[in-house]
Amino acid sequence: MSFWFTVLRQVGRNLRQTWPSQLMTLLTVSLSVLIFAFFYLVYSNMLNFGDKLGDDLSLIVYMEDEPGPELQQQLRRKITTFDEVEEIRFVSREDAYNRFATQLGENLDVLNDMPKDFLPPSIEVIPLKNLRSLNQVKLFSAYLAKLPGTLKVQYGQDWVERFYYFTRLLSIIVLLSGTLLILTTIFMVAYTIRLTILGRQAELELLKLVGATNNYIRTPFLLEGLLQGVLGSSLGITSLYILFQWIKLRFSGPGFLNLFEFSFFSPLVCITIIGVSILLCTIGSYSTMQKFLRI
Amino acid sequence: MNTQMTNTTGTGETLIEMIKVSKAYPPDIVALENISVSIATGEMFFLIGMSGAGKTTLLKLLCSMETPSKGLIEIGGNPIQQMKGHKLAKLRQKIGVAYQDFKLLTDRTTSENIAISMEVSYKKPQLIRKRVRELLEQLDLSDKHDSITGELSRGEQQRVTLARAIANSPTIILVDEPTGNLDATTTEKVMKLLTKSNKAGATIVIATHDDSIYRDTSHRVMELRKGQMYSIAGGASL
Repeated sequence: MSFWFTVLRQVGRNLRQTWPSQLMTLLTVSLSVLIFAFFYLVYSNMLNFGDKLGDDLSLIVYMEDEPGPELQQQLRRKITTFDEVEEIRFVSREDAYNRFATQLGENLDVLNDMPKDFLPPSIEVIPLKNLRSLNQVKLFSAYLAKLPGTLKVQYGQDWVERFYYFTRLLSIIVLLSGTLLILTTIFMVAYTIRLTILGRQAELELLKLVGATNNYIRTPFLLEGLLQGVLGSSLGITSLYILFQWIKLRFSGPGFLNLFEFSFFSPLVCITIIGVSILLCTIGSYSTMQKFLRI
Repeated sequence: MNTQMTNTTGTGETLIEMIKVSKAYPPDIVALENISVSIATGEMFFLIGMSGAGKTTLLKLLCSMETPSKGLIEIGGNPIQQMKGHKLAKLRQKIGVAYQDFKLLTDRTTSENIAISMEVSYKKPQLIRKRVRELLEQLDLSDKHDSITGELSRGEQQRVTLARAIANSPTIILVDEPTGNLDATTTEKVMKLLTKSNKAGATIVIATHDDSIYRDTSHRVMELRKGQMYSIAGGASL
């Protein structure tokens, strides 16, 4: 009889004998993975959305007067002294008027009585893509506001700030649910293995006396933990995928959700979540064995 | 009287050696004191004495269930106190023990209990099945193959324990009070089985206070009294 055949038979016997607690552990692990993966999925989608917003991010510096060619060069130098930027565009009063007129389209007649220079000239600064954090944008904005002749700097502060705080809140939830996943997985698996060990104390004692090696006694418990990890995390991820597909189908069409382009985890992320869950379950099982299995 | 006893039967090669072995339990209970004995390969050795004399303790020391407080125990020239892990497991596979308190898994069947000692050394399933049936037949337990051991009588449980000790064809068989719960006919069957194993080459140590099994024996008999070993000639001369 081979080692693995014997070990698998032991695992089967353990699972049969303690199936109610094994089932509870499996459900707990699945639920923990589901909760964590759900928040992580929302978070990663929000980050993607943020990236897309960041691609369109530009800071508009309204000026008192239209800068001449020399001043334009000076301002350009001042701006790039703070940080490299992707593009700097100078918009004259006339350009601003024309743009506004194009945007008004059919309602162009509202501008009939307005002078063509009523809009302030501006500089459109498009930062590099690595200028992503809110603090950096704020600092850059403050710097631009101090440039000579500046009236005001605008970059959609309210919207960017709200979005930033929302993603921060999400990252805290992801961290918390990740901790929950770690704790519940290790604790539940450890507890179940402990129950199995206590229930089989007499048998383990006997196995030791008839010459079972440490590996013979330990491997089935390790396999149990590993199995809990594989099944629990796969079940959690599958449930999330089903939920994701359902939401996509249910809320497809015009609406709020169409603002975002939701996507599921890549296979690599799925495998990583499953791998980490397996590792946590095996750690839970191993720690209990070290504590309660005296061999 | 502390004695150094050597083997009188067997092949002459020493398999078990105990040198000045003592065992004390806290607070100050001396179970064994300065025991020195050598048992040869293939020998059948009777250890007699009243209850509490230290017979079970001596067997526990031999199968490394317990460690001596003093002295040296060697099996096949290897000190067993220093054995750990894989080496100790391999040694235990070569020692079959029939415990006085049986140590049966009372929620498992008779066949499962016997098979356990062969499973740990990865014997083939068909070989295990054959060996289990053979042993059950020899011990008059054929009809108990699938019975839960917790539901067997004490005498039946005792025989299952013995079957488990012998099943893996160990080189050393330690038997603690093998006939305590048996009638004369079954006792004879048990002794026949032990003799058969002995003839097949196993070294057997039997701890007993049942004089019917060693009274007429030609094998070595030693007595434990209050933790000390006293030499007695072959059982036939008692």
